[in-house]
Amino acid sequence: MTAKIVLALCILWAALASVVQVLVARGSGRTDYAVRRGNPLRGIIYNFTVAMTPAHKESVRRHPFKFVVGVVMHIGVLVCLLGVLLLLVGPSAGVGVLAWARPLAALSLLAGLYLLFRRCVDVNLRAMSCPDDYIAILAVCVLVAIVAFIPLGVIGQLVLLIYASVLFIYFPLGKLRHAVFFFVARADFGRRLGYRGTFPPVAGGLE
Amino acid sequence: MTQPDDDRVKVVPEACEALARAVVGLGAYHMNSCVRCGLCAETCHIYRAEPEPANHPGVKVGKVIDHYRRYHTFLGRHLPALVGAKDLTPRALDELVETVYGRCTACGRCGLHCSIGLDVGAVMRAGRNLLAAVGKVPDGLQRTVDNQLESGNQMAIPREELQSTADWLSEDLQLEMGDDEVRVHVDEPGKRVLYMVNPREVKFFPLSLMAAAGVFHAAGESWTMSSKFYDVTNYGFYSGDNESARELTRRVIEEARTLGVEEIILSECGHGFRSFRWEGPNWMEQAYPIPMRSILELLEEYLDCGRITVDPEKNLDRVTLHDPCNLVRWGGIAEPQRRVLKRVVKDFVEMTPNRQDNFCCGGGGGMLSMSEYGRRRVASGATKAEQIRATGAKIVATPCHNCADQLIDLSKNYQLGVEIQAVVELVYNALN
Repeated sequence: MTAKIVLALCILWAALASVVQVLVARGSGRTDYAVRRGNPLRGIIYNFTVAMTPAHKESVRRHPFKFVVGVVMHIGVLVCLLGVLLLLVGPSAGVGVLAWARPLAALSLLAGLYLLFRRCVDVNLRAMSCPDDYIAILAVCVLVAIVAFIPLGVIGQLVLLIYASVLFIYFPLGKLRHAVFFFVARADFGRRLGYRGTFPPVAGGLE
Repeated sequence: MTQPDDDRVKVVPEACEALARAVVGLGAYHMNSCVRCGLCAETCHIYRAEPEPANHPGVKVGKVIDHYRRYHTFLGRHLPALVGAKDLTPRALDELVETVYGRCTACGRCGLHCSIGLDVGAVMRAGRNLLAAVGKVPDGLQRTVDNQLESGNQMAIPREELQSTADWLSEDLQLEMGDDEVRVHVDEPGKRVLYMVNPREVKFFPLSLMAAAGVFHAAGESWTMSSKFYDVTNYGFYSGDNESARELTRRVIEEARTLGVEEIILSECGHGFRSFRWEGPNWMEQAYPIPMRSILELLEEYLDCGRITVDPEKNLDRVTLHDPCNLVRWGGIAEPQRRVLKRVVKDFVEMTPNRQDNFCCGGGGGMLSMSEYGRRRVASGATKAEQIRATGAKIVATPCHNCADQLIDLSKNYQLGVEIQAVVELVYNALN
């Protein structure tokens, strides 16, 4: 019970700290005084939908394997976190989801280890990486490894709850906060290009 | 013992303040979102030409973000080594100059293809903002800004020279069009349109100014230029000096008011359009009292309303179109030039990729005024050169005079054998 309360508090910390960070990043905001030419909302919708498809994203078209590996890792982590959250509200549902997610967690672990390996050997990635980049991948790899390989008995659940608590404390401080800023940044970019009439494009101009 | 370069490792407070100002409400979201996945590499024309880590968009944007983290994140403040946060020291600022001015044109293409959706252009501009605040703008670029502030135009062309160019262009036009009424109008109050041009049109490319005057005349337009403030460019935008950029904008709006025009029409200039149309009102923190459009939009209106009629048989060579990043990706003007060209040329062919997805020609970001990066500028145009070659076009139309300069260089260096023309020149040539 104590471990669950600690985890709940850590989640609350992560949520509050993230909100504060977004508000600080926003500052006093920015009024756009230029006369609007397009539709900001349509720009946001486009940027979260069509613009993210491989057909419209050159980085994905050029690196389909790396993209799929990244997606697999993220899906595994999200499902595992969902399972952890369910442990808080309904233990049987949480255990059920986590047991079901084991193969996915194992796959996610493989994907994470590949991304870690790539970050260690790729000359470009090494040049742009700091310790936090390696720690973030390791941190989620440990999470999915716990789900994949530790039996979810009383001890297993306790280990998972404690580790998830640590992860949520770290979440707003390091690279993991991109999980929040991804939405904020993509919405902001879509809004501005929508306002100017660039998004959504009238016609395709793809390579 | 005091080291001789102690000062080089002291934090520069002005740079910290400038960074704080630059990121609020715009760049900060994006500074927090980069995951350094590295997938953006080949979206950058500079990296494609010279694939080394220093040219990788993720590395370049990271150089600015490292400083943001140092002063605006918890771990950056208390455990900087953990998150790669770096102090804004004179040494760091000197290193940043090459990255944000010499290795990035802020074209924004990598942002469009970023897996996160990071506005790399906004982050790199924040880098330029802070360097401009501490006087670290490369000399050539700063001289251009100073020219604009001191003389009213980036090339420091005297007012008399503009008047004399307008006079001989008028004479040539009268001969060519067989009409004594056609003129390049200068400083005539009470006209409908104030026409802003790139000083290169006055100095080196008078044919595009002449073509615009011819089309205006054919359309029965009431227009004038200002001999004081006719420069559509804004090098304060490129340098990151928002104060200068605001002043240059303010002068034009004041001049338009003084002349009593109803509309400002911007000549074919990518960053000029973006600066005046989209950034200017925000620098001035107020909406303009006078509407503003690109000449491309006006040309389309002339054609739609039948104010000019054209014959595409007069432009028989194959024509392709280069999309200036600041006009298309950042300005939202992608279709008018296409609809116009399809009506005035016989054989129009698109480059691939195009529109918002186009590659920068390499001449953006003020690169043309920074000779120290000239070799890289030409090298970085390799992707654009191959795009052009693949079209088999004889003429490259580009609605930007900076791009035109770069494309002329590319044509020579990559033996493309193409002619570079403004859209209005092709329209003028097709007039009935």
